[in-house]
Amino acid sequence: MFSAPSAIVEAKAVEFYYTGEETSASPALSGINLAVKQGEYVALIGPNGSGKTTLLKLFNALLTPYTGEVMVEGISTDCEEEISQIRRMCGMIFQNPDNQLVATTVEEDIAFGLENLALPSKIIRQRVDDVARLLGLEGLLRQPPHLLSGGEKQRVAIAGVLAMEPRCILMDEPTSMLDPAGRREVNATVRDLNNNQGLAVIHVTHFPEEAAAADRVVVLSEGRIVGQGPPEEILTDLEMIHKLGLQGPAAVELAAMLREDGYPLAPQLLYSRELVDSICSLERKS
Amino acid sequence: MFIGTEKLTHTYMPGMPYAKEALRNITFSFEKGDFALIIGPSGSGKSTLIQHLNGLLRPSSGRVFFDHEAIGSDKHKLLQIRRRIGLVFQMPEEQFFSETVFDEIAFAPRNLGLEERLVHDRVKDALQKVDLDAEIFAGRHPFQLSAGQKRLVAIAAVLSLEPEVLILDEPTAGLDSAGRRTLFKLLTYLNRNERLTVIISTHHLDEAAALAGPVLVLKDGCLVMNGLAADIFTRRSELDELGLALPPVTEIMHNLFEAGLPVNIAVYSLSGAKEEIMKLKRRRD
Repeated sequence: MFSAPSAIVEAKAVEFYYTGEETSASPALSGINLAVKQGEYVALIGPNGSGKTTLLKLFNALLTPYTGEVMVEGISTDCEEEISQIRRMCGMIFQNPDNQLVATTVEEDIAFGLENLALPSKIIRQRVDDVARLLGLEGLLRQPPHLLSGGEKQRVAIAGVLAMEPRCILMDEPTSMLDPAGRREVNATVRDLNNNQGLAVIHVTHFPEEAAAADRVVVLSEGRIVGQGPPEEILTDLEMIHKLGLQGPAAVELAAMLREDGYPLAPQLLYSRELVDSICSLERKS
Repeated sequence: MFIGTEKLTHTYMPGMPYAKEALRNITFSFEKGDFALIIGPSGSGKSTLIQHLNGLLRPSSGRVFFDHEAIGSDKHKLLQIRRRIGLVFQMPEEQFFSETVFDEIAFAPRNLGLEERLVHDRVKDALQKVDLDAEIFAGRHPFQLSAGQKRLVAIAAVLSLEPEVLILDEPTAGLDSAGRRTLFKLLTYLNRNERLTVIISTHHLDEAAALAGPVLVLKDGCLVMNGLAADIFTRRSELDELGLALPPVTEIMHNLFEAGLPVNIAVYSLSGAKEEIMKLKRRRD
């Protein structure tokens, strides 16, 4: 009997070795079970080398598992003939937009994937204009991408992925090469797509403040999922975060140091705003 | 006036339809032993500026000076300049081309024509400075390293020339927090113990702010602020307008201050912030 898949992407008991390392004792990923639902925003954190990028690549069939299974909308990434469909549903945004932009103008770049689908040019035009409007790129369509700012380039990369009408967007440290304004711009764009278009997002990040904005945080270490849950639970567990060599958001770190010295603050305080408000109300009372 | 520029202007593709004035009339100087920052949004000219500082780019007008002489003058042949002023590019590990860490670091000293015995010493010294054990790492393939270790090897490759100035373009991009901490520990050590002048171009102030002496702020190719960190990082609204962000902990202090609490806003570390807030509590008690 047919049943609708409950998850957009799902990894089941996945183990993965890079070629030539099949006999090594430490697989790049092992025991991975992770399902991401429609409209969910998942942040993937972990030290360098913990397998975050490898896991993303498994979700759009750039890699396939050694054992176990990865499903995208109920289709196994092992199905060779479904790979282009899988990649259309799960678009990838890389760290450096310069590695992802291929055409000489913004509109051609956004249209690149659509042209490869051999869609009628009228439909391509329509979709390019639609995503450009959605991402505020209308004024840039005829610009050469290399003359744009970093944040603009990354938004063009997102537009190219979005034009394929994906269900899920995979982002590998998409803001690490951007300045703070570019970071804000890209994060707001993705948050908006997630909220208003129901797009599932898996966001690999080294910025604890970005992870704090997710619905769920998944922590990888040495190829295994070592923790997951809502950000106020995971990112405030400084014992685990520090053990992995990571850092919590500044507000969490500071709140923990203050509590240690007897400053009365609520547990699970996550955002700077909350910390500032708590301190203000305590200090003002006196 | 150890290293700096005087009315430096640089135009890319002059006379072409896409001609772009990337730097306009920039004048500044850093002293020997400084730990300096060059900050600004993407496209503000940071990378263009630092590529002038070791003669990779030549000014369209104005001049760049080092150790009291203009770069490009007889006294400062470019080759010599590049030996004394080391430049670590953005994502430097993408330029690795050797089979082993040893060969990667030995490339520059070998190009100096040093005897292999001296090359050996240079590589060993450079690895020691970045705190990587030569026994373990010299024979490894660069691709077998973690992201943080790769970055350290890239820096060691520049240190092998024994430069007096070390310039780094966005040195923390793509590193996790452990990698960033290690990197800044190294830069602090090189600056304080090895007396290297360190110049960093970045838009992530998190780790850099606490160490910085002089700071330049660029926007659209113009120098819009030039002063000491202690002064510049108190000008939040101006930095905000430029699209720059203070370290999150400094932001918290600014917000407390703006809410009317008497805290020092020039705080860049968690421990400093904790001290300030505990002072409030003690006053209240």
